[in-house]
Amino acid sequence: MLEIKNLHVEVGGQKILKGLNLNINDGEVHAIMGPNGAGKSTLSYAICGKPGYEITEGSVTFKGKNFLELEASERAGEGVFLGFQYPVEIPGVSNINFLRAAINSVRKYRNEGELAAGDFLKLIRSKAAELEMDPEMLKRAVNVGFSGGEKKRNEMVQMSMLDPIFAVLDETDSGLDIDALRIVADGINRMRCPEKSILVITHYQRLLDYVVPDFVHVLANGKIVKSGDKSLAIRLEKEGYAGLGIEENVA
Amino acid sequence: MTAKNHLEGLKFKAQFDLWGNSLPRSELDWVVKLRHESMAKFLQFGLPGPKVEAWKYTNLGQLNSGNYELITSADNVVNETGLLENLKGSKVIFTDGFYNKASSTIESQNGVKLLSLNDYLKDFPEAAQKILNKNDDDSSLQSLNTALMTGGYVLFVDKNTTLTAPIQILHNTTTSSENKSIATKCFIDVQENSFAQIVEIFIGADEQNYWRHHVTEAIVSENAVLEIYQIQEEGKKAIHTADTHVDVGQRANFKHYSLNLGGKISRTEIKPTLKGLQANVDLRGAFLGRNGNAHDVFTHMKHLCPEGTSDQIYRGVLDKGGKSSFQGKVYVAKDAQLTNADQSNKNLILDRNAEANSKPELLIYADDVKCSHGATVGELDADALYYLKSRGLDQNAATALLVEAFVSEVYEEIKLEPLRSKYLELALNWLSKEHKK
Repeated sequence: MLEIKNLHVEVGGQKILKGLNLNINDGEVHAIMGPNGAGKSTLSYAICGKPGYEITEGSVTFKGKNFLELEASERAGEGVFLGFQYPVEIPGVSNINFLRAAINSVRKYRNEGELAAGDFLKLIRSKAAELEMDPEMLKRAVNVGFSGGEKKRNEMVQMSMLDPIFAVLDETDSGLDIDALRIVADGINRMRCPEKSILVITHYQRLLDYVVPDFVHVLANGKIVKSGDKSLAIRLEKEGYAGLGIEENVA
Repeated sequence: MTAKNHLEGLKFKAQFDLWGNSLPRSELDWVVKLRHESMAKFLQFGLPGPKVEAWKYTNLGQLNSGNYELITSADNVVNETGLLENLKGSKVIFTDGFYNKASSTIESQNGVKLLSLNDYLKDFPEAAQKILNKNDDDSSLQSLNTALMTGGYVLFVDKNTTLTAPIQILHNTTTSSENKSIATKCFIDVQENSFAQIVEIFIGADEQNYWRHHVTEAIVSENAVLEIYQIQEEGKKAIHTADTHVDVGQRANFKHYSLNLGGKISRTEIKPTLKGLQANVDLRGAFLGRNGNAHDVFTHMKHLCPEGTSDQIYRGVLDKGGKSSFQGKVYVAKDAQLTNADQSNKNLILDRNAEANSKPELLIYADDVKCSHGATVGELDADALYYLKSRGLDQNAATALLVEAFVSEVYEEIKLEPLRSKYLELALNWLSKEHKK
């Protein structure tokens, strides 16, 4: 599904990713862990086309397409979803209008007609209920005045509505209490199926108790330095990065 | 003698000398006399030039150099261009500044008197003289308006009367408006415990070059409510100046909403005087400009009595070649203790080649008041833009959603649903026009 080769990324002239390779096949869940400043968020933004993240070398191929040529919105149209570490507050735009605009934009990209208003409302109500979101929050401005947990839950509702085939979740678990963590994990697990893949970026092993990954990678110094199965995450939690011989935050 | 930094405005004098006696109601001596006195008063000052502080951002030089002719009559043909659908109530239409009887419908209601200015001058000369001779013009443009007025309306709402529906006033133009100055004047008097809403639309063709000058004088008495909703969609070459003066009485409420979209130059002046205890004024507006539009909103809030509240929210969106200014003056008299006056003007710049000016001016002579003001000029939030794009919205759709949100704040409290949607629809159309370019 996703093939990243020798990826080099600079942000504001600073080299962050320095030759990263990653292969994710259909149906796989990969977890990326790593110390602060390793380039975890940079990787997620580079995959999802954030302006200011300059690819100086390497390639990102999604479903056989050169992903680096596409705008962020086109990448979403291709079926990629980015769960933000810090979801953005957008005053004046209601959650429900935002979601309607998003869904219809993605449908337009795929040459599908707009979703009828009634069908849209049915869909969003059922998704909100599944993820235990108060329907009143749909009327509120996107993320404005939401708690950390509510924002992350909102990310899950958006993901569920947009129904991506590949999701990058950038520290979706940070700042969550145990109930919110369970809901987020539940949202991720709902997506798991043989056709869809997930990349979970996390600081803590905790989320991986709920979302069991097929592969775990350690990202340090702009490269993947170690890969393994879920036991790698458990070892990391016990022994720390130093225990695995990984230097923290060289920059 | 022209006042300092003013332009002579002699071409208006020449036009007046030629056609003044053909203006409406020239059979009434007192009207003719009033027009001449007002013209003399105008000439004492002239047109405000760009060096006059309040006119720093709006250059009326074109009015002085251009030879704007007077319109002395208009065809009474049906012309409803620009009328809002889905709004019940009386509809009063002015075409090229003249009352268009054939297109208007006036619904009668007990306690409500709505008539054209020229009928009022003829049928109620004493009352009309009293109002017109109040002589408290605070600008030379107002005097010029009195000298040249061709039409307008007068609305009286008696005590304890609630208008059953908003009154819609439409000002449109025909090809006869080419190179003309159009002066309209209206009076609104809402008596104690009464309620009135007025929707006022200005519309014109892009081909014609005209100056529309519209003056509204209003009184809102004790415990009464007056709401004015303006939509300005003048033609591309037009100059539009609209002045509203309003006296707000004890516990009375005045609300003014505006949306400025059209015109080469637009100037919206709103001057409320809070004359009674606990008077309240809310001013809301947006101006959207590009390709040579210059919008200027000038407000002067005068708090004369204690415990008054005023709140102003203005939003500007400027795209390539657009220019705007907001000047918000708040005066709090020594006796107006416990005044609460807020003001906010935010501007969004969508292109490097756009200009927004914002100038709050607070003159506070009372010592126990709460006054706030805020002004910002900025670009779209890059993080918000990326967040929307990551969800599939392309650049145009994401921009439109953010600009709509920015503007909608101004209109969200409007309870007249067809009107609130109209404001938002117009703002969205403005945006999508740009995207087609």
